[in-house]
Amino acid sequence: MAAATSVRRRRLATTLRYGVPWRAVMIHGASLVFILWLVLPFGWVVLTSLMTEAESLSVPPHWIPDYITFDNYLAFLNPAMLGTQRLVGGAAAQGAARAMLNSAIVAVSVAMLNMVIGSLVGYAFARLNFRGSSTLLLVYLATRMVPALAIMVSLYLIFQTLGLLDTLLALILSYLTFTVPYSVWIMASYFRTIPRDLEDAARVDRCNWINMMVRVFLPVASPGLIACAMFAFMSSWGEFLYALLFTSSLNSKTMPIIIAGFVTDVNTSPVLMNAGGVLAVVPPLALALIFQRLIVSGITAGAVKG
Amino acid sequence: MAAAETLRRTQSARTTRFELSEGAFAYLLNLPAILTVLLLVAYPIVDAFWLSLHRYNLRRPETYVFVGLQNYVDVITSDQFLPSLSVTLLFTFWSTFGVLVLALGMALVANERIPQRPLLRALILLPWAMSGVVTALMWKWIFNPNAGALNGLLYSFGLISNYRSWLMSPDTSYLAIITANVWNTLPPSALVLLAGLQAIPSELYDAAKVDRASLWARFRHVTLPWLSQPILIVLIIQALGGIRIFDIIYLLTGGGPGYQTTTLGFAAYITSFVSTDIGHGNAWAYTVAILTLVIAIFYMKLLYGRGDVRS
Repeated sequence: MAAATSVRRRRLATTLRYGVPWRAVMIHGASLVFILWLVLPFGWVVLTSLMTEAESLSVPPHWIPDYITFDNYLAFLNPAMLGTQRLVGGAAAQGAARAMLNSAIVAVSVAMLNMVIGSLVGYAFARLNFRGSSTLLLVYLATRMVPALAIMVSLYLIFQTLGLLDTLLALILSYLTFTVPYSVWIMASYFRTIPRDLEDAARVDRCNWINMMVRVFLPVASPGLIACAMFAFMSSWGEFLYALLFTSSLNSKTMPIIIAGFVTDVNTSPVLMNAGGVLAVVPPLALALIFQRLIVSGITAGAVKG
Repeated sequence: MAAAETLRRTQSARTTRFELSEGAFAYLLNLPAILTVLLLVAYPIVDAFWLSLHRYNLRRPETYVFVGLQNYVDVITSDQFLPSLSVTLLFTFWSTFGVLVLALGMALVANERIPQRPLLRALILLPWAMSGVVTALMWKWIFNPNAGALNGLLYSFGLISNYRSWLMSPDTSYLAIITANVWNTLPPSALVLLAGLQAIPSELYDAAKVDRASLWARFRHVTLPWLSQPILIVLIIQALGGIRIFDIIYLLTGGGPGYQTTTLGFAAYITSFVSTDIGHGNAWAYTVAILTLVIAIFYMKLLYGRGDVRS
């Protein structure tokens, strides 16, 4: 009798174990949860940015806009459209176009400087034997870990002395502090993967070094260069602390400062704020999707964001 | 003959090109990066320490005087120090914990052969592409006490009976900044763990299946041991990022309510740039630098052990 029950139980357990594909259910359930966790928060920002001001403030919140409007985006292009919103977040919206331009100038400059500096250093580490090379690489690695908080005051005083406060140059210089050590790391490890035959062939042809770099080496190393530029661009585009300290007018204010203006303003207009957030995300998000593969390998190789 | 000619050419090419020795050429190539590091990082960090040994207020520059370690004594004995230290460490601990659990789950799922895998892998990059500022904007709107999504969602499910101001109350403001930080800093960790999973040879799983090892046993005895190094890297990256957190605090809570979410770094910012007390501000900032240093040493030892640092 007891034996029969235990057999039945075992049979039941077997059906449960093989009848329901628990593993697949678990994996699909988890993947759904993760996808929602990644998409929903930002999805809500996008949805709000398409609402009218009144709808965005409704309680309980509307998830899907009843009436989709692009006015919140157009207001950034044409501040005259702001109308009654001029008082709530209007001032920030008026500066946004200039701030986007400033952000773009800073981020592109930093990216280009990093490609140049990074490829010079990367070549030295990948191809040349020199004394102190491992110490130097260690110095770059250590530089990467210096917290911005620890040098912000001194940088501020330096820029003040040089008269660079409220200029884009101050931002570009300060962003080199955290991008260059990272670029050195990416470039050195990428250049090591390139076979030496290429340059040996070029040497026989008596190309000079710069010619060899530009014509032969860098084209082959372009994925590394792009990854380096991408990381420099991304971390400069979104940087906040230095921008907060070193900028005071639209001469140099960048997009994060405009966004921060919306976020910290008590009477902010939620639709303008969210539209501004979406605008600030579009350039880096587009780059991240275009260069997805490069970025993934760059992140896993470097294992640190900016 | 032809070979000798080639050899001669190669040699002459080398001498005309490299009049410098190889070592000098290497340092010439390093020059721009070295200058950047010396002028923009090394000098400021030394200067910051020097300033932290002085009484120096931007509004009263005439009172500039050397005070030794007095600023550090003031900071450590101030009422604000221990709370800030514990906020910083707890924030770092819970952020790191949250990221590790979520990133591990995400990496395990993204490593399975399921149709939504490409979608999941692309979406992992979304928080990475968003700066801390936009992340803060997003969560500030979600936590909004009136029209925010969290209140609306929890209320409609009947989980809360009245709308709450999440960022204003002491117990939830803390959770709020951790949530925002976990969301924002997840991608690198998930990708590092995913790369770690992909490096595990599939024969090991086949062998475990032959041995009829359970799902848990396979995870415990095959996956986890292989992931130990990537996990350690994740812990270190997260700890380094958590200790220096600034933008999310500044924008979401402003260090409040009260000093509930004031970290060491935020105190450094307030002291230096709101109270314009450069001496004490730099002493606060150096506490962040010292915590970072401890973790950085662990990190470098780890990378050295893996052979990542070589010339």
